[in-house]
Amino acid sequence: MLTFSPTAWAKLLFLRDLGPTEVGGFGITEPDDLLCVRDIVLVEQQCTETFVSFDDLAVAEFFDQQIDAGRHPQQFARVWVHTHPGSSAQPSSVDEETFARVFGPCDWAVMAILARGGETYAQLHWRQGGAVRIPMRVDVRFDVPFVGSDQEAWQAEYDAHVHPHCDYRLSDPRWPQQELDDPFFDRLFEPAL
Amino acid sequence: MKILFINNDGAGFADRIEIAEGTTVQQLFQERIPHGKPDSYLIRVNRQPTTGDYILQPDDRVSITPTKIEGAWSHHPKGRPWEPANGSTVCTSSAL
Repeated sequence: MLTFSPTAWAKLLFLRDLGPTEVGGFGITEPDDLLCVRDIVLVEQQCTETFVSFDDLAVAEFFDQQIDAGRHPQQFARVWVHTHPGSSAQPSSVDEETFARVFGPCDWAVMAILARGGETYAQLHWRQGGAVRIPMRVDVRFDVPFVGSDQEAWQAEYDAHVHPHCDYRLSDPRWPQQELDDPFFDRLFEPAL
Repeated sequence: MKILFINNDGAGFADRIEIAEGTTVQQLFQERIPHGKPDSYLIRVNRQPTTGDYILQPDDRVSITPTKIEGAWSHHPKGRPWEPANGSTVCTSSAL
């Protein structure tokens, strides 16, 4: 089972709901519990409603920073987390291709997906004794140390690393700013109506 | 001579290793990741992009990290792709 500390889960939910795009990051774990995510770290990424792509240089820099922080690659580069804006957390062909190509050479790795509708998906790739893929449950653990939320810092991390490339304002009226641009939008909330 | 080598393949590696004098980046890659395609990795020396023929120096820091980490979502006709966060969008888990 893949688990998240309450703080890591809260951060993932917060990041998922900050905008209309996908968002991705790496799960950070402790050496004695590699399947319990204690933090989600974002790297520089380009995103749309249906796609997220990490910047290669930022990934390399992330590795260097984590090594300098004293972590082993198994603690920071094995749980790949991203969100889906819709109701389905099922991996796409792109997700599967990335997971196989990037994380296939690793002894083990996890692809975890959280959909906006709340559905979760996790799959463990395990290479010892022949490669296998194992579906995993996802849950939140309250029996590990955790700190409170820090939405201000999470927002700053999102703003610094997530670069949306959206044409949703042209094609999809669900973006709230588009509603605000509508001169009749405010009138919808007038008591008389 | 010794260098710091960082790599995520296999069990993952981040430690000092002993290499022969005159070893190039390409030789190190072929030795450490024999089945890997160089274009699937970003190879940096001392946090800077490098070339395959660079001759490694003592205490160099070499990182070989994955590239093209991409995720996608196939649009599902049901439901709205996005709406501002509210109580109904916060859910701890489902489909367990």
